Amino acid sequence: MKHSQLKEIIKKKASKTEFAIVTNLENGLSEIYEPKKSLSKDFDTHKDQIENFFKSKKNGVIENTEIFVETYIRPTKVIIVGAVHIAQYLVDFARSLNFEILIIDPRGYFATEQRFPNLKIINKWPDEAFEEIETNENTALIALTHDPKIDDPAIKHALNKNFFYIGALGSKKTHENRCIRLRQTGFNEKQINSIHGPIGIKLGGKSAPEIALSIIAQLVEVTYKK
Amino acid sequence: MKNSFDEKILEEANDWIEANQKVVLATVIQTWGSSPRQVGSRMIVNEKGDFSGSVSGGCVESAVVRECMGLIKDNKPCKKIEFKVSNENAWEVGLACGGEIAVYLEQIT
Repeated sequence: MKHSQLKEIIKKKASKTEFAIVTNLENGLSEIYEPKKSLSKDFDTHKDQIENFFKSKKNGVIENTEIFVETYIRPTKVIIVGAVHIAQYLVDFARSLNFEILIIDPRGYFATEQRFPNLKIINKWPDEAFEEIETNENTALIALTHDPKIDDPAIKHALNKNFFYIGALGSKKTHENRCIRLRQTGFNEKQINSIHGPIGIKLGGKSAPEIALSIIAQLVEVTYKK
Repeated sequence: MKNSFDEKILEEANDWIEANQKVVLATVIQTWGSSPRQVGSRMIVNEKGDFSGSVSGGCVESAVVRECMGLIKDNKPCKKIEFKVSNENAWEVGLACGGEIAVYLEQIT
């Protein structure tokens, strides 16, 4: 592979586009495949098979050929509401796992660049923040403020948009009260039960990094069930 | 369905190259039976034998490092190697899990 191509692949990954790398294992030539983009002659004869790999998001060698296909899919978007202590550890775990992270917190003294370097922080109330974020059923929400004023609007948005994961920090009692509020605003039991609250798998830890670990573990588990 | 977890090996390869190192990229392209790393798993090796990432659970990495260094020394663009239980490499490094893997090595030029 040429260094220029490696750089192009890295750029594509950073721009969150979906693509595949196709490599001829005999002569070492490789190319980037994208839907609706033409391939060179060498690879074009296998276009259908390459497209199949791309569509099923699989890696592998095309049968009876020496062509290897590696697909790259868009990272899962994780929205953290609350730029709190736990979020600082969550960001580190989420980065190693290649989640795309953004933080929403209207409280300026929490959501600072100094506490969260190189991260997209939206310093607005959730309703306003969601106007500028594209969300769908491939998005996850981690609500950490346990303040209904901030968490509830975010959870409502996530329920309406069918996020694949919604987790909310808070004790059992806090969560019960949250469920009551959501019920009153018209959400059904199925929707309410889909919220992971209290958030995280049971590890037993109480410190901020331990709670972050239990949350991220649950998120990975749910990602595989998607 | 494949998830988007990614180990950032390509990014690291780029850092190494920009630090004037010669880099070979090793990618798991096929697996048979039980193998520790899935297809698409990667490691990188430089001319000194420093490496990052993995293609197995530590079973064949040393052999891959040797092969990669050989590729740099002979200035060859690419090579495919297979590790099987019946492979003579396996007696030396071996896949304890009894699986088989094919690894593709390519020099970044």
